[in-house]
Amino acid sequence: MNLLAQTTSTTTTTGVTFPTLVLTAMVWSAVVFALAAILMPNQTQDQLRRIKSLGSTGAGAALFFAIWAVETQASEALAGTGTTAAGVPGGDLHEQHGWLTSFPITSTYHLDADALALAVILMVSVVFFCASLAAWHNQRHVKLLTVCMLTLETASLGVFASYDWVLFLFFWTLAIAPVYVLVRAFGPGHRGRAATRYAATSLVSAGLLLLAAVLIAFQAGSHTFDMGSTPVTLPGDGETVAFWLVTAASLLAMAVVPLHGALLDLEEDSSGVLSAIFAAVLPTLGAYTLIHVAVGFFPTTSGSYSLFFATLAVVTVVWAGLAALRTDDLRRLIGYMGTVLMGLVLLGVAGHTTIAVTGIMYLLLARGLVVAVLMLLASLIQERSRRVHISQLGGLAWQAPFLSVFWLLATLAAAGVPLLAGFAGDFFIFTGSFPAHRWATTVVLAGTLLASGVLVWTAQRIFFGASRDTFARVRDLGPLELTYLGVLAALIVLIGVVPGHFGVLFQNGAGYILFPGPAG
Amino acid sequence: MSAPNGMAVFATMLPTLLLLVLAAVAGLLGWLRPGLPPSFHRWLGAEALVGAGAAALVAFHGVALTNGVGLAAYAAAVIADHFGTFAVLLLCATGLVAVLTSGAVQERLGSRLPAYHALVLTATAGGTVLAVQAEMGMLIVGLGIVVISLVGIVAVEKTAEAPGLAAFRSLVSAGVALALMLYGLAIVYGATGTTDLAAVRGQFVHSAPLEGLGLALTLLGLAYLVGAPPLHHWMLQVSAASTGAVAGAVVSLAVAAGGIALVRVMVSGFSATMHPWVVLAGVLGAAACLYPALLSVVAGSVRRLIGLGACLQGGLLLSALVGSGLGADGQSAGGVMAMLFALVVFVLAIQASFQAVGRLEADGIGGNMVGVRGLARRSPMTAALLSLGLAGLAGLPPLAGFLARILIASSAVAGGYAWVAVASVAASAIYAVTVLRWIAAAYVEDDELPVVAPAVPQLAGLVGAACAVFGVVATLVAGPLLYAADGAAFFLR
Repeated sequence: MNLLAQTTSTTTTTGVTFPTLVLTAMVWSAVVFALAAILMPNQTQDQLRRIKSLGSTGAGAALFFAIWAVETQASEALAGTGTTAAGVPGGDLHEQHGWLTSFPITSTYHLDADALALAVILMVSVVFFCASLAAWHNQRHVKLLTVCMLTLETASLGVFASYDWVLFLFFWTLAIAPVYVLVRAFGPGHRGRAATRYAATSLVSAGLLLLAAVLIAFQAGSHTFDMGSTPVTLPGDGETVAFWLVTAASLLAMAVVPLHGALLDLEEDSSGVLSAIFAAVLPTLGAYTLIHVAVGFFPTTSGSYSLFFATLAVVTVVWAGLAALRTDDLRRLIGYMGTVLMGLVLLGVAGHTTIAVTGIMYLLLARGLVVAVLMLLASLIQERSRRVHISQLGGLAWQAPFLSVFWLLATLAAAGVPLLAGFAGDFFIFTGSFPAHRWATTVVLAGTLLASGVLVWTAQRIFFGASRDTFARVRDLGPLELTYLGVLAALIVLIGVVPGHFGVLFQNGAGYILFPGPAG
Repeated sequence: MSAPNGMAVFATMLPTLLLLVLAAVAGLLGWLRPGLPPSFHRWLGAEALVGAGAAALVAFHGVALTNGVGLAAYAAAVIADHFGTFAVLLLCATGLVAVLTSGAVQERLGSRLPAYHALVLTATAGGTVLAVQAEMGMLIVGLGIVVISLVGIVAVEKTAEAPGLAAFRSLVSAGVALALMLYGLAIVYGATGTTDLAAVRGQFVHSAPLEGLGLALTLLGLAYLVGAPPLHHWMLQVSAASTGAVAGAVVSLAVAAGGIALVRVMVSGFSATMHPWVVLAGVLGAAACLYPALLSVVAGSVRRLIGLGACLQGGLLLSALVGSGLGADGQSAGGVMAMLFALVVFVLAIQASFQAVGRLEADGIGGNMVGVRGLARRSPMTAALLSLGLAGLAGLPPLAGFLARILIASSAVAGGYAWVAVASVAASAIYAVTVLRWIAAAYVEDDELPVVAPAVPQLAGLVGAACAVFGVVATLVAGPLLYAADGAAFFLR
């Protein structure tokens, strides 16, 4: 009956008090532009251009608010100011309003963001903005692509910013329909099968998460769907059951071996822009859920199963690394590289130290950017050369030097070369996990090197060697392509050069995830 | 509750009387003055339904609820309380949608349009009896009025063979369901010696198998109305054979009335704490969710898909029953609240879906996969409404069906029936994948067929769109809607 019960954090500026709405603006701005796009006519080229502009503006608006949120927190973390430690929920970004307060289990419109969420929010909003620019040349289903992409962005950002189970599940499930429709619309080959497989997998994940949410809400005795209070303590086997439900759902979405088939199909059977989004964003939803919920809610239980995560990390990295070595399909190769990097995330979870979890945040940020660049480049290569298989390519650096530079940059970042974004994540994860799992860390390191070697070898096969007449008319990157790839590449370099900008923020967040509560 | 008196009778039966009188007026005017324009009958029906809703609000709240609990009449056979207000308002809203969208079938019904309106009013009146009844006799009377009116609505489309056949089959199914329920109630009466549903609770011997059989038969009879298997075939036949507007009216009114009867009989009457029927409701609910969901995978037409979706909603309502008692910790499990919230959302989602089917008919587009392909280009509004309707039935966000499923699963787990929650979630997931296939076909695939000009009447189109949009709005106003459901469920718990 407590309909009007609500709490709202406020920001005070020069004596004026107003509610903090940065996360609300960030989450919903994309879908507001999607609604505007729905109402636009789409008959003439001018009208289609306006719809595309709306798409880029919507993604740009979300990016603006994402940068605002991240930079505010990162600056506060560096300066040591703010209402609470930056990177920990309950600070300046906290928003909470009454929603389903009459039901025996109450649910609120609760948005917040810890350091992990901020890391992936930054990555996702940048990827969507660049993807909206990359989609500018598309002439098929323009309105559908714009609306679905913006809806998917809102869904993804909503998952990361939700601190209420109902809201979290709402956004999680909201992502399914646009992905399904996009794959059906733009995918070549077995698109129907890929879309159905993905939708079924995601709905199973959502179902598992729903059961976990209900279990937690009842067994914790709080009768609330709020996700703000961690760690969660449940009587009997409840904690273990809830932990495994969340873990299973997360692993399904992360697409780690042996559950990687659906996502790889999706990446292979989608167009270039969509492959970039799917490869960068969708597994991140799972990784975020694994760390934020499975580890953050149940730090003790997750710590006790660290051997499981270490084993899974080894299997994932070795399997995906060997598969990458065997494959001749460019997109599938990048998909396997993404899976290898997810294996590193699992190793970080197994490490269960602040350093390892800090490394996961860096890695998720870098992984999304790198995989997005590689997927976008792969689609540009395929579009220009009309070739799908790596063995059919060669000598492209002569015709497309910028393209090869970007590819090499992304390859080196994926390999974890210093001064690029991938280094900090790899370094912290290996350092943080080595004391607990020496053998696993060594094998995963070897597997990562193998996959990185495959990527470098692939670069050599695609770009170097003698110039081929077949590809004489392949053109290099244009201004628009240089712009969006430049944005992604600049961020990869920037994070690599000044990783310390996020250092305190991520350490605060990692500490809170592993040691939650007031002290965290 | 106070003793029976004239005021109590007036207050509890006012909406029913109003609807029956105006149904008679509508029928007589249609017979005696056939020249009256269709819009006159439409607005007469609409005013009757709005009046009945207002009467429920004023009479129940202003007169009957002065004691804060409710008012009984006819030796406690009928009760006016918060739940009654909620239920009557839902029924009137459902009937109102049916009346306002009748323009879509105006040509087909011809001179039988007044009869159609009159039957919608009598079906709603029967539903209002179910909303206020608390005794076996009144239950049967209410069910009888609803069932006969709904069969009549289907039969009134007698220009085509298929609706006539569907009406006949519905009548046979209804007869079976009513017979099952009568046997069940007779057994319960024989065991307890009372026809008062509230008094049954105190007389019941939980371990007696015969009494369990009585409850099971009663539940099966009620499951007929909400379209839950095994007595769901009538709903599929009506969905397949009748026009969109008629099927929408019949199915949504049946689900609304059936859901209300389920709450009155099983929760308010027999009480949710009585075993073994809670387990039985769980088994029936789980099966009623999974069976139509699995069938939907091979559905060859939109009509069948929607019909199966309506059956799925019936199964979900039955699943909500298992959480209608007390949770393991002694607190209310919220099943009734979840059920009432879901009932509102489901009924309007069913209406929205069938209104989209009506638009397909008006546009001359077939309801199979070939017809739906490229619908977004050929008829954008129809595609949007169909997508919203189907997504509402599937419980995809941002439609409120998603919230309803979370509430139902939560209350099932709270009631100690996690397996029912698993079944309902799994069924919803299967149905959602199927629905996504159809939505994608409308927006993605295209056979380059010509664009069609919208032909559906403006009012019917607007009301259909409002039903579809309600699915989104209900998510935003879920708090107030749950608050109202809480008020309605409070005295039933």
